[in-house]
Amino acid sequence: MATLSPRDRDAGYAEIEQRRSASHESFLAHRAYFWARVAGFASLFVIITYLLVDVEPRHNGGSWYGYTLGTIGAGLIVWLAWLGIRKRRPTPGSWSLKAWTSAHVYLGLSLVIVGTLHTGFQLGWNVHTLAWVLMMLVIISGAYGITVYASLPQRLSENRREMTREQMIESLATIDKQLEAAAQPLTREDADMVIAALEQDVFASGIRARFAGAGRSDATRRALEHISTGRAYDDDPDDLAQRKVRALLGKRAAQIDQIRRQMQTKALLEIWLYIHVPLTIALLAALTAHIVSVFYYW
Amino acid sequence: MTFLIRTIDHTATGREIVRDRSIESDRLSIGRATTNDVVVADLAVEQHHVSVSTGDRGQLSIEAIGSRDFTLDGHRQTSVTLDPARGGALTLGLYTLTFGREPDGKTLVTVTQEEREFGNRDAIRGFDLASAMPSKRAAAWIGVLVILGAFLVVPIWSSLAREDKQAGADGIDQVAWDSSWSTGKLSLAHHSLENNCEACHVEPFVSVRDETCLSCHDDIGNHADRPRLATSRGPMSTGEALLWQVAETFGKEGPEACTTCHTEHEGAGRMEPAAEQFCSSCHEDMDARLTDTALGNAHDFGTAHPELQALVHTALGDDRRSRVMLDGKAREQNGLRFPHAMHLSATNGVARMADTLPAYGEALVCSDCHLPTDDRNGFLPVEMESSCESCHSLVYDKVGSTFRSLRHGDVAQMRADLMAMDRAPRRPVTQGLRRPGEFKRGGRYFQDFGRPARNYTAVAQALSDQGVCGECHIPSGDGGVMPVFQHSDYFLNARFDHEAHEQEDCTTCHAADQSDSATDLLMPTLASCRECHGGAEAVQAEVPSTCAMCHSYHPPNFGRGGDGPQSPAPDRVAHVLRPRGGAE
Repeated sequence: MATLSPRDRDAGYAEIEQRRSASHESFLAHRAYFWARVAGFASLFVIITYLLVDVEPRHNGGSWYGYTLGTIGAGLIVWLAWLGIRKRRPTPGSWSLKAWTSAHVYLGLSLVIVGTLHTGFQLGWNVHTLAWVLMMLVIISGAYGITVYASLPQRLSENRREMTREQMIESLATIDKQLEAAAQPLTREDADMVIAALEQDVFASGIRARFAGAGRSDATRRALEHISTGRAYDDDPDDLAQRKVRALLGKRAAQIDQIRRQMQTKALLEIWLYIHVPLTIALLAALTAHIVSVFYYW
Repeated sequence: MTFLIRTIDHTATGREIVRDRSIESDRLSIGRATTNDVVVADLAVEQHHVSVSTGDRGQLSIEAIGSRDFTLDGHRQTSVTLDPARGGALTLGLYTLTFGREPDGKTLVTVTQEEREFGNRDAIRGFDLASAMPSKRAAAWIGVLVILGAFLVVPIWSSLAREDKQAGADGIDQVAWDSSWSTGKLSLAHHSLENNCEACHVEPFVSVRDETCLSCHDDIGNHADRPRLATSRGPMSTGEALLWQVAETFGKEGPEACTTCHTEHEGAGRMEPAAEQFCSSCHEDMDARLTDTALGNAHDFGTAHPELQALVHTALGDDRRSRVMLDGKAREQNGLRFPHAMHLSATNGVARMADTLPAYGEALVCSDCHLPTDDRNGFLPVEMESSCESCHSLVYDKVGSTFRSLRHGDVAQMRADLMAMDRAPRRPVTQGLRRPGEFKRGGRYFQDFGRPARNYTAVAQALSDQGVCGECHIPSGDGGVMPVFQHSDYFLNARFDHEAHEQEDCTTCHAADQSDSATDLLMPTLASCRECHGGAEAVQAEVPSTCAMCHSYHPPNFGRGGDGPQSPAPDRVAHVLRPRGGAE
């Protein structure tokens, strides 16, 4: 039986598709790196033709070859940006979102070659180079995104230690309640430190603080330090309450560190989108200005 | 005195739990410590914060125990008197203690507690970076508006709205912010147009037109008419034809347009001359397509270039020039007798004579007569008065100590001078001795009243082959001499820059030291040029040379207007094409 009937073939595809999703094949490795190979060959082809085509006086965006690369590049940019809309409609099949994303990544990388050779390396302080710079920033941020998606989720799950985010928040709330109760016998000064710790909102940290991660000095650590300093072995009648508060503050600091590590990892994981997405939109604007201005001053 | 303490708590589901208890005392202590009458479990409250004591007529006196104050009805206080019948609310941290009077005379203290909020704990969204970053959408909108505004709206709006839309407009009539549209610096020749885009980009969405270029470059010669250009180029390849079809769809003018060859915005510098390939694509085998052309095929100076041709006077006295091939045997008839070799000799009489003259002091060299032009590209015409006359004297008479010279270049004047030579009386040749017959011919007081026949002879003698004029000129036989032509240009379609060849001796190219006749055309042959010059790709050649080194696609008078019949000026024998200093 050399040939398969169409029905068998359909069944075969369905089976392959099932196997793919079952084995959690990454979008990077989708269909045995099909799009990586497509983009690689396309880039190689563009480089070779760039070297072979003789443009007088030198390569630039305004030669026939430059216009060809420019048209391909502009089409690619629009199609790549389309992922922002396409991703909201996940569908299976050969045009599955996974296939689309895989193509997005590799064709996006090949845009470095297409876009740069389109310029003929003639860059300057103008709207045309602005479009190129934005394109490169979008691609670099995308490449960063791919890199962190490949490495950071591991760190995220290691930090969670079987805890969900809700559980982390819950744990902190529980510690806070215990802390508040345990701190009642404390003196004014100590109580103020505990209040400051309790009022500290771990999520109300700035952008830079989010990237700084765990172990930073904050109200909880200051309170811990204050209540610990020189007292651990004092013969204080209130020491029982203090010991309790000290222990709870320690737990609170540890819990905050875990939350902070989680936030830091998430920030590293998500920051690229804050460059990739707005710059893509800005790139579409710059691309429009680039194309319109070229034909306006034709 | 009885205080009725009513504590109101809330369950997790929000249900109220009300507990009442009574305290029989005149003083009520309130604070965080468990020993207080009313325990306020708030860390912001002192261990013993406030004491409430009853005074006259049921008034309550509220005092802060420590240094910390309290808030009563919204006012911060340390000591206050309160009538419970009128009510009052004491706030301590999250707790509110409301005072009132029960109908039975007891003082009611209602203790309620606000729920404490420790930040937004229920929102796991706090983990996301989004909670700390400005919105992506806002950033995108700002970027889009800034880019479209600065790089599209402003230039287009100012381009459409300006009143005076002429090229080269200035000030408010110039398109604003369009420098961001420039793809690169203009060539140096166009540098003044750098901030004046609309000078060339006249109409929106219309490619740069030839007429715009020609509005400044109005004196360039047309290489050939468009149909001839098309014929000599031959049919385009399929790919090229397709490219032009696409280009013309987008409004480009065509393969013969200025902008096809002259690309701009390639960076400051010289506008690059066209490559050899550009010329040779037509001229390599042009005679096959353009069958009526007089031009030889050429595509590489080193290997495929026609013999050089010079534009010379071929017939004695004829003012028209025609081209002769420079094959080493070419002759010209410039109307002079001038053996170069004799004048350049280092040993003969000429050399001896030059030795004795202060102006030379040694044997003659080329530059004694041939002076370069100001731009050092070519040479000025040789002038008789400054270059020849110090040896070839035109002196014909002496009056006292003054010599009289014939006027050069004017035959009629020369005749008149010679004929009038002996009219004037002069001193006798001898003195003292007297001989008779002083009144006879040749005597002291002789006056000749006849025709000056002897002077006619002198004129005829001067104009003969052996006469003073005939030394350098060729007698015309009709009482004058043949016209003399001197040119500084010999090429019709090429230019030659002497300055670029300054390092060479003159005789390297011009074999003047071996020429015995002025008819020798002392122009080098193609072979001698090739000793140094090869084609553009000739890496072995001392000077790889493109077509553009000698040829221009648009010479200013390519119509060969300067190549028509040229008559000498009527009062001059020699037709001087490049007078020294601009004045003849």
